[in-house]
Amino acid sequence: MVVNNSGVGALGSGQGSGITNDPSTSGFGQFLGGAADVLGGLLGGVQQIGSAISPAMPAIAGSLLTKEAYDRLSDIGTQSLTGVTVDGQRVPGAMEVAERGQRESQFRPFTVTTPTGSMFSARMGGQPSMGQPVTTMPVTSPGFAVPSPTAPPSMMLPPGMDQLFQMQRMPTGVMKGDIKPVQDGRYYPTAMAQQQPTTGGLEVGMTLSPQEQALQQQLLGGAGGFFGQAVQPTQAREQAIFERMRAAQRPEEERQRLALEERLAGQGRLGVSSAAYGGATPEMLAMATAQEEARNRSMLGAMQQAQAEQMQQAGLGQQFLGAGYVPQSQLLAAAQPGIQQQQLAQQAQQFGTGLFGETMMSGLEARLLAEQARANLLGGVGSNVLAGMFTPQVNKVTGVTTPAGGLGDLGGLFGGIGEGLGEIGRAIGIID
Amino acid sequence: MAQELQSINLVAPAFKGVNTEDSPLAQDPSFAEIADNAVIDKRGRIAARKGHTVITTNKTVLGTDSLRAIKEFRDDAGNTKVFSVGNNKIISGTATLVDETPAGYSINADNWKLVDFNGRIYMFQRGFEPLVYDNTSGAVEAMSDHTHSSGVTSAIYGNEVLAAYGRLWTADFTANKSTIYWSDLLNGIHWTGGSSGNIDISKVWPDGYDEIVALAAHNNALIIFGKHSIIVYDGATSPASMTLADTVAGIGCVNRDTVQYTGTDLLFLSHTGLKSFGRTIQEKSMPISSLSGNITKDIIAALQNETQFFRSIYSPEEGFYLLTFTGQDMTYCFDVRGTLENGSYRVTRWPSTTFSSFTRLDDGTLYIGTSNGISTHTGYSDNNVSYRFKYYSPSLTFGDSSRVKILKKLKPTLVGANNATVFMKWAYDFDTTYATAEFTVGTQITGFYGESEYTTVEFTGGQLTNQRSLNTTGYGTSVQVGLESEIDGSSLSLQEINVMALIGKLL
Repeated sequence: MVVNNSGVGALGSGQGSGITNDPSTSGFGQFLGGAADVLGGLLGGVQQIGSAISPAMPAIAGSLLTKEAYDRLSDIGTQSLTGVTVDGQRVPGAMEVAERGQRESQFRPFTVTTPTGSMFSARMGGQPSMGQPVTTMPVTSPGFAVPSPTAPPSMMLPPGMDQLFQMQRMPTGVMKGDIKPVQDGRYYPTAMAQQQPTTGGLEVGMTLSPQEQALQQQLLGGAGGFFGQAVQPTQAREQAIFERMRAAQRPEEERQRLALEERLAGQGRLGVSSAAYGGATPEMLAMATAQEEARNRSMLGAMQQAQAEQMQQAGLGQQFLGAGYVPQSQLLAAAQPGIQQQQLAQQAQQFGTGLFGETMMSGLEARLLAEQARANLLGGVGSNVLAGMFTPQVNKVTGVTTPAGGLGDLGGLFGGIGEGLGEIGRAIGIID
Repeated sequence: MAQELQSINLVAPAFKGVNTEDSPLAQDPSFAEIADNAVIDKRGRIAARKGHTVITTNKTVLGTDSLRAIKEFRDDAGNTKVFSVGNNKIISGTATLVDETPAGYSINADNWKLVDFNGRIYMFQRGFEPLVYDNTSGAVEAMSDHTHSSGVTSAIYGNEVLAAYGRLWTADFTANKSTIYWSDLLNGIHWTGGSSGNIDISKVWPDGYDEIVALAAHNNALIIFGKHSIIVYDGATSPASMTLADTVAGIGCVNRDTVQYTGTDLLFLSHTGLKSFGRTIQEKSMPISSLSGNITKDIIAALQNETQFFRSIYSPEEGFYLLTFTGQDMTYCFDVRGTLENGSYRVTRWPSTTFSSFTRLDDGTLYIGTSNGISTHTGYSDNNVSYRFKYYSPSLTFGDSSRVKILKKLKPTLVGANNATVFMKWAYDFDTTYATAEFTVGTQITGFYGESEYTTVEFTGGQLTNQRSLNTTGYGTSVQVGLESEIDGSSLSLQEINVMALIGKLL
């Protein structure tokens, strides 16, 4: 029995050419090819089968229609996932739509450049670097209008941005510049790009302008210096302060000492040593006591001053540390409008992507519904045919009921097909 | 035509003591050219000095040496003890001399100075650890051995020690001649701590450099005698605060043992003679007077010739200041009862006395140290040995040095001189060869009613006087008269000498 797929194809072509779904064609050809040398016997078998089918034609037609409906529903399901070409127009499937939606909803890298030349960039891991030279566009993002080079001066690049561009071309998370020990023994990078994540996630990059970097380095270096001084033991500083205080006191003390010496010499008492006065004269003891008290006060003052300076160093370090992050915080503050703009763009992008997906999915859904309706229709026809075969005919006029011959036809059909297949088998020698 | 005898009366001859400085011709007849073993007695006459009587009966520990220092120890409890030094020993006692030298303490010199201070007697000598005695221990001991001593080091082994203003002061060390150490208050054995201390006056000497010889306390001041300068510190009651009050350059002190207090003056022997600080409380100044102006050259010569010790004593009872050059066995006696017009004391000489030390006891007794031990300044013999009293007037011109004087008679008036042989001497024109007229004074023992037997002595009202008239010979433009007598148990005073002379022609 030969199945004409043309009818089906014609049926199908009315709904949509290009839909290729004939998996049985190749198996039958192979069968024909394999029985080429026994074509004669085969033809006989086929003829016998045909003879057997002929009486069962309605039943077959009904079955085929039902199968067609079934296949179409299956194909629609598959096409809704994989897509299809309709009238030469490629209609993407759900997966394709999803991929496109995913692709189009993907994070768009962007860069915010402040008027002072610092830059804020964000990208996802694997996305191309945003190290391309940025012209005068303060906020660069796909879909954004490129501003005119004659943008407001506030948006102009500050001098030295070429260095920034060079720095921007650096891989994220790479430290640039030499690390040299400075005088205080600590290490400061001469230039350093902001650490950025290197995983597949969001990569955020912040780059300051050279001037800001220099300022930041200066401030952070200063903070380090102040903190370094703050954590130093205070003894040396106390001694230094004490020495300075003593240096200021010594001239007057020396004058007083000389005056006392002259007085004592005038009184002939220069050589007096009394145990009651610590081996000196009362005046010398008084002066020595006063000087020692001054020394003690100086010592305590030096200690207090050293501690105050230590606190001052810590405070200055704190201030410098805070000030050192001002360029960065200002960069973040300045990047907020750009980020918001990028978020708007991202929202619009995501909205468009969603709209696109929903639209596409609604088309697919409509087509699915249409194809489902068509399959239902075809399935209904087949069902009716088959129902006619098995339903006794009652002539309402005559009132004669004709018994259903479906089963008998089917018996003959299967018998004829069996015979025909037996012929074919024998023709090809697989059956003796 | 015979000329009338001219009487020149030398009343109270040598009343002003010896004067060897002025020209004999211009001198006041009240001066004497020589006045040996003489004093100015209570009536202003020149008289024989007192002798000494040895009270020591056992001087074994002294041997043949002389006592070089004597000091009486007295404490508040009334304990007394006489200490002396000699024969390289510390000796105590008066009748029997007892060796008090601490065991194991070696002495090879006797130039000790002893001071009594606050219940202890201290003995200092350069280079020797000071010795100390108190009635509690009852023995002389090295100061560092004393239970409560402190700070006794070689730094305080001074040659001079002074007890004044409540503490001990010492100076004149072997290797340090400009530092004075003082002890703690009222404690002479504490030389550290308390209010003890020291002063280096090496930068204070008025003439750059000097060496401390003696210390003295006078008029609330500390007097520091250098060899040729003097420094006065005021407010010495608080040594740490005492201030320089005065300096004297060119006058110093020869020896620590020449310094004596007379109550109103501070006497000391300088290289130019005996000097004193006159106390003038009102003016707070301290004028220096020369007290030996009449024998300056003699003193200087004695100083230059002295090879041993100087010893001195002031006796208010006797009214004199004795200064002995032990090496020359010469003692000068300065009468401190008054000064002459030139500010000098009346002075006489006591040669060959063998005095080697003096001290005055609290009761005024004058102890004299000799090789015989301790003597008292009593009697008119040196331990029963006579001594010669000499008086020689300056050359007398009787007011006219151009005329010849022909002595006719000498009429001395003597007081005392019991049974003494008196030699009247005279010479002309500075000749040292004297003509002599000798006479013996009769018994001059005074007899008082109810004390002496009738016919044994002549009842008198006091000392007997004896007046003689001696014929003289020779002539010259200037005349010097003298009187000598052996003093052997009786006093002798020369009341006056009446010189009878003829004034001759002009030369």
